[in-house]
Amino acid sequence: MKVDFALIGHQENWRAASDVLAVLRGPERTPLPDDEIKDILPWIPPRAVCHVDVGSIIGANARGLYIDSFIPPDRLEAAYVHENVARVRAAAAYAIKAGAKIVSLGGFSSILIEGNFDQLPERHDTVFTTGNTLTVGFIVQGIKKMCALERRSLLRSTLLIVGATGDVGSGCARCLAPFVRRVLLSARNLERLRTLAAELQADGVQVEIATDLQLISAEADVVICAASLASPSLLLDRIAPHAIICDAGYPKNLSPSAQMPGAKVFFGGLGQITGGLRFAPDFHGILNRHPFPDVVHGCLLEGMALALEGRFEPFSQGRGSITQERVVEIETIAARHGIYLAPLYNADGPVQEKLYCLKEWSRGRCRDSLGAA
Amino acid sequence: MSTLHSKDLVRCSGGGTDPLIGLDCSALECTSLSPSAPIWQDILAQAMTGELLAARNYTSLSEICDDPEKVADALEHAQGERGHAAAFAAEGRKIGVDVANNVDAKHWKRLRGGFMRCIAERDFIGCLIVQEIMLESFAVASYSRVGKVAPGSLGETFARIAAEEEEHVDHAMAILRAERALHPQRFDDKVYRLHLDVMTTLAQMLAKECKDGHCEVCHGTCVKPSLFEVSLSASELRGASLQQYLKTLDMLGIPGEVTLAWVTQLPV
Repeated sequence: MKVDFALIGHQENWRAASDVLAVLRGPERTPLPDDEIKDILPWIPPRAVCHVDVGSIIGANARGLYIDSFIPPDRLEAAYVHENVARVRAAAAYAIKAGAKIVSLGGFSSILIEGNFDQLPERHDTVFTTGNTLTVGFIVQGIKKMCALERRSLLRSTLLIVGATGDVGSGCARCLAPFVRRVLLSARNLERLRTLAAELQADGVQVEIATDLQLISAEADVVICAASLASPSLLLDRIAPHAIICDAGYPKNLSPSAQMPGAKVFFGGLGQITGGLRFAPDFHGILNRHPFPDVVHGCLLEGMALALEGRFEPFSQGRGSITQERVVEIETIAARHGIYLAPLYNADGPVQEKLYCLKEWSRGRCRDSLGAA
Repeated sequence: MSTLHSKDLVRCSGGGTDPLIGLDCSALECTSLSPSAPIWQDILAQAMTGELLAARNYTSLSEICDDPEKVADALEHAQGERGHAAAFAAEGRKIGVDVANNVDAKHWKRLRGGFMRCIAERDFIGCLIVQEIMLESFAVASYSRVGKVAPGSLGETFARIAAEEEEHVDHAMAILRAERALHPQRFDDKVYRLHLDVMTTLAQMLAKECKDGHCEVCHGTCVKPSLFEVSLSASELRGASLQQYLKTLDMLGIPGEVTLAWVTQLPV
């Protein structure tokens, strides 16, 4: 079987892991008890879970594999980084052996590998992409859409990016800085923050940096969390009462709450396939657990879009090299094949969309997505 | 923790087919003062039983081989497995315990039955799949784990035998890969058929708790709940064994998504 693309991911929580194993086990067998799943899953070597066929609105098709690294959902923290990198490497080796032409690394896999592509196994005809460029594209589109829905002016906004020096955070900063009044950057590494700030300031952007969110002097009314927050309450003092907040971290842990009653929270970086998506066995709604059909993380969609386009190249690699031009390029490729920004939603469900038709909006924005909102 | 009493005397049914081991079944008492000795005794009993079963399997295999070289190979393997069993018995003596074996214990008997069905069909490849892919995956993985935590020469013996068993698997792998290359689907179907039989039994054996009664190898109550006392656990041994099995099937070239489904369908 030809394998145009492979997607490397893992399950975000035990419920999702349990559902995956239940499908594999079949409806005629009793589902495995939770304690057995927690015992067994960490021992499963990375491997394909299912075949994925994706269609394009212009008639192209691509065949692929979803490869699960089987990172246990409760082992995402730093203490397990070496073990998890080894799992991603093994998943990558599996993709190479399967003959995948392009491999997209799911969000957390990207984070583990993004600065260390040399840690991937030796590859021959297989290329890897973190998929971060399309993720940035969908985050930026989501921010603009939400501003439009809320009738906010991005031009008058103060943008805060948490996790600003990562690949996704810095890409968002480059794409949105020209269209906001002021940019606040927060990250742990001061040196990288200074470098990014200098780059933006050279283009005339007003920038403030801080390694501690609490030290930022201004209130943000648009926020991108490109890194998971240790606690959502860290944001409370630093945002305007009705701030628009894009949760683009992994795992996503922001939700509309009593602590932020006026904030408009949505999950960012997600796209929707409109040309057809098929899993074998059928994992619809299990591998992509979203309130809308055929919604997939942008990082995985990047590999699928490139496969549909027949461009088997390492589109996104390394850290800090995502530019506006590259974002427009991948958005254009994705849109050509019917891959658009997904309808916005958060932990409470869909975000109200009375004003815009998804497809029309996305199509319009994909043509000039980085234009003024 | 398991405790030993005279009423807990181990069973031993090795029968007349394992002359190298020759245990006196009437005197299997733990004379060690080490509190973990009864646990090692049961672990050794399972390992020894597995080795004796493997020895029987290889002897049976030799009887269906026409090629004298294959006959010699099978008999050499059988002899090697008896040597492993003897080594486990010797390790028991070092820590002051006699090590029982029971190849007729319910799970082991079923495993032997699965192998013998291949023998009855004179299915050489089927025999290799059962012994080298399924039973040896279990042996290599569990011996390796035990080898890491067992003290002194006990640990060294488990680790050494794990390495030797792994060599067996490598040897069989070349034959099996060549066989699969001829008719991949037919080969995979055969592996699946044998998986349903043999791996179902192994999975029941490896379950965290013995839900269907005594395994007939442990000398008293089930050893599984006591394994934590020697830094092991039943779930760890099961996990490592299934992982080794999946990796071995990967090496054969059977698609990973197929073998994953097989393994997730096993009983727990």
